[in-house]
Amino acid sequence: MSVDSARMEWMRSRPFDGQALKHLVEAGLTWLKTNQQTVNSLNVFPVPDGDTGTNMMLTMTSAWNEIKNSGEKHAGKMALLVAQGALMGARGNSGVILSQLWRGFARGVQENELIDAALMVRALAEARDTAYKGVVKPVEGTILTVAKDLATAAESALIETQDTIAILERCVPAANESVNRTPDLLPVLKQAGVVDSGGKGLFFILEGMLRHIQCLPLDAPLVTVQPLSSLNFDNAMLGVEEGQDYEVVVDFFPNDKFELHKFYGKLEAMGTSIQVGEGEGMYRMHIHLPVEKRYEPIDYIMTIGTITKVAMENLVAQMDEINAKSKGTKLELAKIEPNQIGVVVVSPGPGLSRIFASLGVAAIVEGGQTMNPSTQEILAAFENLPTDKVIILPNNKNIVMASNQAKEVTVKNVQVVPSKSVPQGLAAMLVHDPDGDLEAIAGKMTKALASVKTGEITRATRSVEIDGVKVQEGQVIALLDGKLVASTQSVEESMLNLLHKAKAEENELVTLIYGEDVSRGEADRIVDKVREIYPSLEMEVQDGGQPNYQFIVSIE
Amino acid sequence: MGEETTSMGGIHISPAAIATLAYHATLESYGVVGLAPKNIAEGLAQTITHEPARGVSVRYDGENIDIDLYIIVEYGTRITTVADSVANTVKFHVEKALGMPVHEINVHVAGLRMSDES
Repeated sequence: MSVDSARMEWMRSRPFDGQALKHLVEAGLTWLKTNQQTVNSLNVFPVPDGDTGTNMMLTMTSAWNEIKNSGEKHAGKMALLVAQGALMGARGNSGVILSQLWRGFARGVQENELIDAALMVRALAEARDTAYKGVVKPVEGTILTVAKDLATAAESALIETQDTIAILERCVPAANESVNRTPDLLPVLKQAGVVDSGGKGLFFILEGMLRHIQCLPLDAPLVTVQPLSSLNFDNAMLGVEEGQDYEVVVDFFPNDKFELHKFYGKLEAMGTSIQVGEGEGMYRMHIHLPVEKRYEPIDYIMTIGTITKVAMENLVAQMDEINAKSKGTKLELAKIEPNQIGVVVVSPGPGLSRIFASLGVAAIVEGGQTMNPSTQEILAAFENLPTDKVIILPNNKNIVMASNQAKEVTVKNVQVVPSKSVPQGLAAMLVHDPDGDLEAIAGKMTKALASVKTGEITRATRSVEIDGVKVQEGQVIALLDGKLVASTQSVEESMLNLLHKAKAEENELVTLIYGEDVSRGEADRIVDKVREIYPSLEMEVQDGGQPNYQFIVSIE
Repeated sequence: MGEETTSMGGIHISPAAIATLAYHATLESYGVVGLAPKNIAEGLAQTITHEPARGVSVRYDGENIDIDLYIIVEYGTRITTVADSVANTVKFHVEKALGMPVHEINVHVAGLRMSDES
């Protein structure tokens, strides 16, 4: 992992041709792909979504596909191919801007067989100008600003050097600084405590090019140590790869000569999904390993420090358990006679599906916060019901729209009862009568929506300040009817805060629906706490199995 | 137009207000270089209008808000992606400001502007 200085010296001051440009594009793409999740995570609300990294990566992939088999030596012609590919595959806003940058760059070099320092600087300026032409009111603090700042850095570097590599060496840190300044220019970024995702993506492309020249690896993200509190292994289950059967977590105090790079290097040779956290001198390491290597990290860490705790889990057994749970019991959906009303619900978890089924729904569509079902999926769920009268309960505000669209495209008589949360959906089901008049029942159900308050408890995916409440990444947050009301260190505190804000003591029944990453024991413990504080309140506990949300709370 | 009732009376939001919201959101959207007046002789479609109500039409039937946008796109960008992101941006900004769902956004690409290709 060191810079090959002899090779760099040889390359310095040499103009580059089409093939060199091709390698740079590949390097930029590879590095962006490696860091794609970092870019994706820079979204602006603390619930998982956001895909700028993926959009930019797909745009660059399209550019790469255009040139990967090309033997073109003419740099200008190669650049035109790159621009063409980026244009064809432009995805999302950031992808369109990226393709414009390439278009401008290509326009700057198209006549030239070789790109030297002066030409590169001109082309970067052209890229900037072309990108800015694409919008009437450019918003500063975005990828546009980063493109502008790096073109400026290139221009001033040219005064001192005629070396293409030296110019790139100036551009990369300038782009980095520019990215770090974006929150000062765009308040929404500052409030959310992130930098601009598109700008960060552009930075990774450039940095990848420079790393390629420096012979630095492009396939592993830069090693980082997170604070212990933000380590989250729950999602690691999603990334179980074939042959990585064991999860090992080791807590240790390293010796004085602890070298993080070497440590990562050793671990990478053993397994995947490596995470390292640190707090007050103690390190925690997480890794997935094949069976035969399960003791290797422990043996290795013994040689570099003092181990305080080891935890080992068989992932295959866990996965089997999860799969068995989700497939296990078959749902008993209500049998609908022609002329009765069939209810279709969107359910975010297997447990909730069972609850809805027990309340008499006729069809279930799986989906929720991070996976909104399409109009098509909702349509498919009720098209085959033997009745023409259908009520849809979307149970999420993001799915109301798709439900309304399903209503419009079908010949069936459909009413959408716009439930924005699971508790609203449950409340609506309680007043349902399959033999009633469709419009009257839908009206009754819609009225019932207002009879419950909805609480949600989840974990912030990053630090942010919303509705005047400060949230740190990894903290537990509580939402009451969609509004952030508390951020705390534990689920228990969040729950108590939430019930306090909801004035639970003035209500009769509280139902706690626990999610897939909360155990029954943990749920019971929290219920006991709540009972202590609200002795007169009636409480129910249900296994909802929903992802992301530790608890969904219905207060009525 | 958009209506809500409070304890003191009603709130009415005019189509012109919504059009202004949509107009500004459109112009902040990447790839759009202007709005074209709707319903104008085709030969004049390249004229850029600065009057929100002319490049945007808003309809409300008591239940749904539908918005039509007549945009001019920068030549050389991927038009479908630009149109898609305009629709998303406008939907987001209008819904955020109004607190009411937008039912449909139709994007009409009325023309392309070719910046000086040298």
